[in-house]
Order: sequence, then structure tokens, then C-alpha cells
Amino acid sequence: MTHKNIMLNSSNSLESVEENKNNEGEAIQVENLKKKYNRLTAVDGISFSVKKGEVFGFLGPNGAGKTTTINILCTLNSPTSGLAYVNGYNVIRKADEVRSSIGLVFQEITLDNHLTAEENLYLHALLYNVSWKEFIQSKREVLKLCELWDRRKSRVETFSGGMKRRLEIARALIHWPKILFLDEPTIGLDPQTRNKIWDYIFSIRKKKNLTIFLTTQYLNEAEICDRIAIIDHGKIAALDAPENLKKMIGGDIITFRCEDNDKAEEEFKKNFPQYRIKRTGKELKTEVDSGDEFLPVLVKTITPKIVSMELRRPSLEDVFLEITGRQIREKDKESEGFDLGINFGPLFNLLDNKIVATESKNSQKVKDEN
Amino acid sequence: MENNHSDLISETTQKDHWFFLRLRSIYIIWYREILIYFRNYLKFFTSIFLPLLLLVFFGTGIEAVFPAELLEYDFIQFFFPGIIGASISVMALSSTISIVWDREFGFLREILVSPIKRADIALGKILGATSTAVFQGFFIVLFAPYLKINFSTGLFLKTMGIIFMVAYGMSALGILFVSRLKKMESFSILSQIIVAPMVFLSGAFFPIGNLPSWMAALSRYNPLTFGIDALRWITLSKTMPASKISSFSSYSFSHCLIFLIIFDMIITIISVQMFRRIK
Repeated sequence: MTHKNIMLNSSNSLESVEENKNNEGEAIQVENLKKKYNRLTAVDGISFSVKKGEVFGFLGPNGAGKTTTINILCTLNSPTSGLAYVNGYNVIRKADEVRSSIGLVFQEITLDNHLTAEENLYLHALLYNVSWKEFIQSKREVLKLCELWDRRKSRVETFSGGMKRRLEIARALIHWPKILFLDEPTIGLDPQTRNKIWDYIFSIRKKKNLTIFLTTQYLNEAEICDRIAIIDHGKIAALDAPENLKKMIGGDIITFRCEDNDKAEEEFKKNFPQYRIKRTGKELKTEVDSGDEFLPVLVKTITPKIVSMELRRPSLEDVFLEITGRQIREKDKESEGFDLGINFGPLFNLLDNKIVATESKNSQKVKDEN
Repeated sequence: MENNHSDLISETTQKDHWFFLRLRSIYIIWYREILIYFRNYLKFFTSIFLPLLLLVFFGTGIEAVFPAELLEYDFIQFFFPGIIGASISVMALSSTISIVWDREFGFLREILVSPIKRADIALGKILGATSTAVFQGFFIVLFAPYLKINFSTGLFLKTMGIIFMVAYGMSALGILFVSRLKKMESFSILSQIIVAPMVFLSGAFFPIGNLPSWMAALSRYNPLTFGIDALRWITLSKTMPASKISSFSSYSFSHCLIFLIIFDMIITIISVQMFRRIK
């Protein structure tokens, strides 16, 4: 395809977005969206669309631009440039319409702790202009669904983290939005609660034909989406169904360990020059077209004694590694606050040292007293 | 709770006039403020108990120090409108802290992303804080007869009107400050730097006529001085002669009234504008 062609295509799609504001099939349309904070570019020209009834996942490390994108789509933040339509409404010009047609669950809890579960729902219904009849009906339905019906008269401050999350999702559904935005809804929850919340979300989706837009940094959670976009440094690195993304990696992954890894590696390279072999820690790792057939061949050819061997299909983790060149959790360690252009690292180190110093002093004291 | 408001919620539809829709939005925000105020029994109780404590103990203490021959008026009677003004101001300002609270606990976001307009949220919050202060003022005013202050129904209503105006101005001022605050701690700093001097220099605790000139100047340009003076003119109008009231007031009643109205209007516009920019 020539350069000209690409240009034509992109301009066409731009026009079509403008025209198809009320397009039935599309729940979200985003074209070349950008957001800059002074020097930092949080979102760098992303484009995608989400079909109605789809579960669409944004996968990426902290600071990749997930929350910024979700905030723009929810009208909480305005883009530097680009177009975004939610339910056919422009997020800048029709912000009020967008707000009343979506449900939101943020990263942090946004419940009123002083009020009961029921009162929280009631206030939400008032805010979204839900009629009394509808409220009574949907209150019962959502509270039963998220298993909080028995606790509806209790104050939210007595709830556990998982219960609060479930109540938030219930609240987001009170006005029966067309799209539900979930910004890392299971962050900080234990695995059991996490699974329960996903079960809950999916049962609702089936019942109500909801479109769900979610962000996550847990790869197993991204697995359940219909389609996922891998976002890194404000750009979409890949966008497809999880299975297709995994196919992109190639065939199966074999990891094995021998008593003499060096020799095994050498032999592998000699016998199978078509495959790459990598060393990760104490293991050798290779990607092959069809692992179940290759495995017996491999066992026969390698002469050093094999200690362990594993054959598996590629996971999203592998996809992520392939696309971004690093593991998803690596970024966690970096300190935040770079948006000011100041590196607070040394300062924090200084503080930490002080704390460590005082702590050791204290422990010294305790020892002396003993 | 459910039954009381069932009529309200079912009658409003999309077709309603925009004015009623906006009134309704303001009502929702106000309703929540009130709900929380009454839920917090302790705050509710102390908000009425503390001013009375101050009035009785502090007032009696001052009267004991300055014997009746030295003081030309009953100090507790002088103190009464001052304590109303001071306590409703503090109440109104501290009620607006709910925004910082909401921000810290996340609930502010729930309100900000709802389809309700920012201006209505600000007005609802202002009126919510005003209501808690007016409610407190109402209970303090009820004690007037015990302090030998002559009251009539008309006077009572007028007093409540002035209380509303003062509380409203202070609430709007509070929203103005609070919409910029990110943390709870900053509020206590703010209340020490701005609120405490404002209350001390308003003439609530002592007449400002005999103060050193620099302090008197500060007092004269303190917006709360107008409120305290207005309250004093109204509450004591049937108890003391006008000449005596004017001896410890900085402004005439009509001046106070005009100032209060203008102040309330201007501060509303500024704080609504500030609140719109909240993120």
C-alpha cells in the first residue's frame, strides 16, 4: 500500500466518524486522541472503536495512559486534540449527554461512607434523574445481584473492600447505562474477591447487553475481554482479540532445563537452526510451531540429561513481553511525580534513610530497655 | 427516607422546565449535606452546646471582672448577638469542609461526573452549609428570653433573616477557599489564618470603638463586622436604646444590610466560578 493510500484511508475514517455519530454498532469511537501535560505526553494519538455489547480491555503498566483515556471518555478531562464519541455523543460538546449515558467505577472508592448502601444508591438515582418506580425496581435487582441485599441498611463504613467495590458496581448500574467504564476495578483486592467481581460483571453483561470498557494491569483479567488494546507510553501497541494476539507470538513455548545447559544450547542451535533459543535464568526457552510434535524430537536429540521440561501455549504475558520488550509489572517500581518535571527520587531516598535511621534508633532503644 | 421523597422523584421527568431541573439538582446536593449533618449526632449536639457554654460561662466571667458600674450595659446582652454571629460563621465555614472530605474519600468524583451542573453543586453545597448554620442560630436565638432580651415574633423572623444572610456569605466564602484545597490539614491552617482573625476582629467579643487604630481599621474592613453589627441592631432593638447600640457598632443598620446583600451576591458569583474549575 502506498503512502497516499494510507492518507486517504485515514481521512475517510475521520469523516465517517463525523457522519456516523449515531452509528448503531459503535459504542465508543476514538480518533487520533492526544493529551499533553506540559512536557509529558500521556496519550499519544490513539484510535480505536468499541462495538456495542463488547468487553473491551485496556492493558498496560502504570502511567501508560489508561486512566487519562478513560477520564477523557468520561468527560472528566479534555483532550489536547483528537475526536472521541461515546454513545454517539461528542465528549467535549455533549458532555452532559455522555455523563448520563455511562456508568463509572473508578480506581479509588467513591462511596459516601457516612450513608447506608441504600442511601448511596438513592443519591445516585437522584443525581441521574432515575424515576422512583425504576429506582425501587433496579435497587432490588442490583443489590440482589451483588449480594448486598441483606446489608442494604448498613453504613458503608462497615463494609469490606470487596463489598464496597460490589456496591460501587451496583451503583454504577442503577441508571442502566449503555456503557460501563471500569478503571482497574479489582485493584487491591484478594484473588477470591476479584474472581467474584468478574463473575458478577459478566452476569450483568449477559443480562443487560452492556458494553464494558475496562482497564487493568492483571493479564489474566485481560484474557476475558473480547478484544484488548495493549497500551504503552501513550500509544496502542497492539489491538486484537486475546487469542489472535497470542497467535501473533507464533506457536508453542517450550522451556526445559538440563544438567548441562551450555551443551544443550549448543546442540539445539546445531540441530534446529530454524528456531531461536533463549536462556532465561536456569532454563532454556524456545518457540516452536507445533510443540506436541516437536517435544519427542527434542528429547531424542539433546544428549545432556534433562531435569525438567514444559510445553505451554503463549500467554498474554508473553505477548506483552514481545510487544513492549518488558514485563508489565516492571514499571511499578518507578516513582510517580514526573509530570512536574522534577525528580523527587533523591528526596524520597533521603526521607527513607531518615526513617530507617530513626527506626534503627528506636529499635536500639527497645533493645537497651530490654 | 424513601417515602418522603417519592413524590418528588417520580414527578420529575426529562420534559420539565430547565429551571426546575436545576432547582432539583441544587436540592439533591443540599439534601445530602443535611442528611450527613443530622447523621453526625455529636457534631449536631456540640454545634448548639458550645456557643451556649461560651455565652453563659465566658459572659458571666467577664461580667464578674467588670462590675456593673464600669460597664454601661449588660455584657451578656451585648455578647449574645456576637456569639450568634461568631458561631454561625464558624459553623458555615466548617460545614464547607465536607468538600475536602468528599475529595479525600472519593465521593466528590461521584458528584462531579454526574450529569448535574457544577454551578448547581456549588449552590447546593453553599445552601447546605447555610442551613446547618441557620439551624444552629435558631437554637441559640431561642435562649434570648433567658438573657432578659425582649423578643417578638417579627423580631425573631428578622433575626433569622439576618442569620441566613450572614451564614450564606460565610458558606460561599468557605466554598471559595475549599474548592482550592486538596487536604484536610490545609483546612485547619486556613481556619487559623483567616477564620479566627475574622471572628476576633468582628466585634463579636468586644466593642471595636476603643481599639488601637490599626486594629480598628482591620475590623472596619472585615466583612463579618457588618454581619455582627446587623445582628446586634436587630436582636437588641427592643432591649436597648438605639444610641447605646450605635455606641458599640461601626455601621448603621441600613449600611449593614446593603453590604450583606452585595457581599452575598459577589461572593456567590466568585465561588461558583472557582468551583467550576474544580478537577
